[in-house]
Amino acid sequence: MLQTLPRRAVVALLALSVFFPIGLVLWQSVLSGPFFMPAAVPSLESYAFIFNDPDFWQAGRNTLAVAFGMGAIAIPLGAILAFIMVRTDLPGRRWLETPILVPIFVSPVVLGFGYVVSLGPVGFFSVWFQELFGSVPWNIYSLASIIVIAGLTHVPHVYLYSSSALRNLGSDVEEAARLSGAGPFRVARDVSLPMVSPALLYVGVLVFFLGFEIFGLPLILGDPEGHLVLTTYLYKLTNKLGTPSYHLMAAVATCIIAVTFPLVLLQRALLKSAQRFVAMKGKSARQRPLMLGPWKWLALALILAWLFVTVVVPVSGIALRSVVSSWGQGVNLLEVLTLDHFRAVFEEDTMIRSIINSVLIGTLGGALAIGCYLAVGLAIHRKNDGLARFVDYIVLTPRAVPGLMAGLAVFWVFLFVPFLSPLRSTLFSVWFAYAVVWLAYGMRLIQSALMQVGPELEEAGRLVGASHSRVSRDITIPLVRNGLLGAWLLVFMIFEREYSTGVYLLSPGTEVIGAQIVSLWASGAVDVVAALSLINMALVGIGLAIALRFGVKLHD
Amino acid sequence: MTDKTILSVDNLALSYGSNPILKGVSMQLRRGEVVSLLGPSGSGKTTLLRAVAGLEQPHTGSVTIAGRAIYDAAAGIDIPAEKRDLGLVFQSYALWPHKTVFDNVAYPLKLRKVAAGEMGTRVHAALKNLGLDHLAERYPHQLSGGQQQRVSIARALVYNPPVILLDEPLSNLDAKMREEARAWLRNLIVEMQLSALVVTHDQSEAMAMSDRILLLNGGVIEQQGTPQEMYGQPQTHFVADFMGSNNVMKGRIGDIRGGEARIDLDNGMAVWGLRRTNAAIGHEACAVVRVEQAQLCEGPGDNRAEIELVTSMFLGDRFEYVFHAGDDLLRVWGKTHEAPGRRWVSLPAGGVWIF
Ligand SMILES: Nc1ncnc2c1ncn2[C@@H]1O[C@H](COP(=O)(O)OP(=O)(O)O)[C@@H](O)[C@H]1O
Ligand SMILES: [Mg+2]
Repeated sequence: MLQTLPRRAVVALLALSVFFPIGLVLWQSVLSGPFFMPAAVPSLESYAFIFNDPDFWQAGRNTLAVAFGMGAIAIPLGAILAFIMVRTDLPGRRWLETPILVPIFVSPVVLGFGYVVSLGPVGFFSVWFQELFGSVPWNIYSLASIIVIAGLTHVPHVYLYSSSALRNLGSDVEEAARLSGAGPFRVARDVSLPMVSPALLYVGVLVFFLGFEIFGLPLILGDPEGHLVLTTYLYKLTNKLGTPSYHLMAAVATCIIAVTFPLVLLQRALLKSAQRFVAMKGKSARQRPLMLGPWKWLALALILAWLFVTVVVPVSGIALRSVVSSWGQGVNLLEVLTLDHFRAVFEEDTMIRSIINSVLIGTLGGALAIGCYLAVGLAIHRKNDGLARFVDYIVLTPRAVPGLMAGLAVFWVFLFVPFLSPLRSTLFSVWFAYAVVWLAYGMRLIQSALMQVGPELEEAGRLVGASHSRVSRDITIPLVRNGLLGAWLLVFMIFEREYSTGVYLLSPGTEVIGAQIVSLWASGAVDVVAALSLINMALVGIGLAIALRFGVKLHD
Repeated sequence: MTDKTILSVDNLALSYGSNPILKGVSMQLRRGEVVSLLGPSGSGKTTLLRAVAGLEQPHTGSVTIAGRAIYDAAAGIDIPAEKRDLGLVFQSYALWPHKTVFDNVAYPLKLRKVAAGEMGTRVHAALKNLGLDHLAERYPHQLSGGQQQRVSIARALVYNPPVILLDEPLSNLDAKMREEARAWLRNLIVEMQLSALVVTHDQSEAMAMSDRILLLNGGVIEQQGTPQEMYGQPQTHFVADFMGSNNVMKGRIGDIRGGEARIDLDNGMAVWGLRRTNAAIGHEACAVVRVEQAQLCEGPGDNRAEIELVTSMFLGDRFEYVFHAGDDLLRVWGKTHEAPGRRWVSLPAGGVWIF
C-alpha cells in the first residue's frame, strides 16, 4: 500500500504504458498511411484494403477452424487428463505432473520447428516410419495437422484449470455414482466433469482465445502450403505494399482485438463465477482416489502416448537436428553427427548477443518486471475503490493484443517519442514490451502472493502506528518474499519462451533468442535455428529445474 | 461525558453497501474500566471495535479518545488507524511470522523512534510483565496458543495506549484454558489500570471480566449496565434470554396487578411474575425463568405446579431435571438424583419475567 500520491503516480504510469501503445495501434488503423508520414490522413482505406483481400478472409476462416478445432481436441483431452491425474489411483501420478506441463513452457515457435524436423517430409520420425512401413500417412503442413498439433499442445492449459477445480470437489459424489454401478469413466463423464463445468466453460473460452492469437505454430507449419491465420497474415503484411504497411497491420490487429478483448472480459466474468461456485460448496469432504482397476494401464498408456507426441517427438527432433549436419532418407545418423551448429552459434556476435540478452531479460528483466508488478499490486492491495477497479481493467487490456502487434506498437513508441528514441535499440525497449504483454500474467502471480498475507497482519501494523508504506515495507513485502521469488522464476521462463513480441524490435543490440529464431527461420537457416532452439529450451529447462527445486507451484 | 471518560462513541453508524451493520451506537468507556461488547454472532461487535480502531469506515457519528476527536463524520475528521494510538489484540493474534517475539513487540517502539537502549528495556519489561521474557528470541510459530496471545497483548501494551481493544481474546484457547485465562486477563487489566474494550459472544466471560456490559443486537445497543444489572434486571426479552440459562414458555396475560402480572401458559400452568410488557389482559406474552430460580418443592402453593419429571442428568456439580409441561420442556437444577415421576415445581414470582 502506498500513500495517495505515489499510488496515483504508479497507476498513471501503468495506464500510460498500456494505453499509449494500444491507442497508437487504433489510431494508426484509421490513417491512410504510416502515422509518421506527413501524407497520412484519417481514412478507412486500410480496412477497405484488408476487407477486399481474399487472403484476409481465408486467414479469418482458418483462424476460426484452428480456434474451434483446438478446443474440440484440447478441452475433452485436458479434462479427462485432469480427472485421471487428480481423482484416480493412476500409477506414477507424482512423476507425471511436471512433464504434463512442459508444452506450456516451450516456445511455440520452437515446438513448431520441432515438429518440422521430426514429422516433416524429411523429419527423423517420418524417415524412420517410412523405412519401417513404406510410406508416411501424415502431412505436417496441412491445416488439419496444425489444428491437431495446436490441440494437443494446449491440453496442459485445460488440465491446469480443470485439475484445480476437481481438487475442490468432494469424493462422496463420485463414490455414490460408483456404488450405483458406474465405471470410472462413466463417473468422470456423468458426475465429476459436469460438476466442474464452470471451470470448463472458462477454459473453453480461454482455449478459443489462445487459438485466435496463435502465431508460432502456423508461422512454421502453415508457411510451406500457404495456410495463413490472422496473426501470420498480419506478419506477412509487413512488406505487402513495398513501404511499411503499418496502417494495414494496425487494421488487422484492431480486428483481432475486437474479438479478443470481449473474450478477455468474458474470461474475467467466468472466472469470478467459477470461483463463487467453488466457494459456495464450502469445504469439501476428504478425497479418496477412485480405483481404476485394470483401466489404469490403459489410462497410463494414453497419457504416455500423448506425452510422446507433444513432448518427446518435437524435443528429441530438435535435440537430434542440432547435432547432425544433414538428414534425409538413407542417411546414417552416426556419420552425420557434428557440433558445428553450436560452433557457428558461438562464433557469431549476434547469436552470442541474443543468448546473453535472453538471459539478461529473463533474470534482470524478470526481476525488474516483478518490481513493477509489485508496485502496481501494492497500489491496489486491499483497496476496492475506483482506482483499483480501473487497474483491474488496465491489467487485462494488453492480454487482448497479439504479442507481435504489441511489440510493433512499442517499437513505434520508442521510435517517435523523442526522449525514448535513444533507448529504442537497447534491451530496454524489448523489456518494456515484454513487461506490458505479460502484465496480466505477472499481476495474477503478484496478487495471489499478496492475498496470502492475512489482512489482520497488516491491520496490526497500522494499529501500532505504521503508515501504509511502512506496512508494505516492514510486513507485506517480507511476508511475500517467497511468493515473489516464485513469481520471478515463472516470469523468467515466460520471458525466455517469448518470441513474437521481440520480432519487430529486433535490431543490433536487442536480439533475443525467440525473435532471432523467427527471423532466421524465414531465411532458411535450419542448422542455426536447431542449435538456438535447443539453447532456448535449455534456458527454460534451467528455470523449470530451479522452480521445482524450490517447490514453486507452477499454477494456482 | 465526564472527565473520567476516555473513550466515547456517539451515534456511530456503518453500512456495507446498502446493508446497515451499526445503526447508531453510543457508548462510553471510563478510565480504568473494562467494558464488554456482548452479543450474538453477526450483531456487529467486531465491526464496532474495528470502527473505533479506524479499520472500518463509518458514515455518521463520532469517536473521541481522551478528549481528542479521532472520527467525526460531521466535522470531516477521520484520523488514520496508525495515528489513533490505540492497542488492538486481534482474535487471531496477528503476530508477524517473520519477526521474533522481541521484534514483534519492539516494532511499535521502532515506529515511534525510541532509542535502541530504551527500546530493549521497555520490550523486556513488557515481556516480563506477561511472563514471556524467556521466549524473546522465538518465532511466533514456536509458541503455544496461550503464549501467542500474551505476545499479542504485550505488543498492544508496549506503547502505553490510552485504550486497549480486544477482539474475542479467549476464543482461540481451548475450553479448559479459557477460564484460567479470563481470570489472568482480568487481573492483568486491573493491575495495570488499563481501560479496555473487550468483544465477546460468551455471556459468562463478559460477566466475569467486565465492569460493564453492552449488549448489542442487530447493530443497536439493546441494554447496558453492570453484570449484575444485566443478569438480574433485563429490560427486554432478548436480554433476559441472552444472559444465563433460561426456561422460556409462551402464554397469555391472565391478570395485571401493578408491576406484576399473571401469565396463563399454554402448557396449563399459571404463574405470577414481574411485568416487563405493556400487553393487555388476553394478549400473548412469554415467561422467562432462570433455570436456577426454578425449584423442586414439597406440595402445592402460589406459582407451583405438579408436572412430569422425565429424566435427571448429572452435570458434575449438580443435577439437571428435565420436566414435561404440556409441549414445553422445563429444566430445574438440584443436588440429588431424582427418579422419574410426578413432582411439584415452584417458580418464585420474583424470578419470573413476563415479556
Ligand atoms: N466485509 C464485509 N462485507 C459485508 N458484510 C460484512 C463484512 N464483514 C462483516 N459483515 C457483516 O456485518 C455483520 C456484523 O459482523 P461482525 O461485526 O463481524 O459481527 P460479530 O463480531 O458481532 O460476530 C454480519 O452480519 C456480517 O455478515
Ligand atoms: Mg466477531
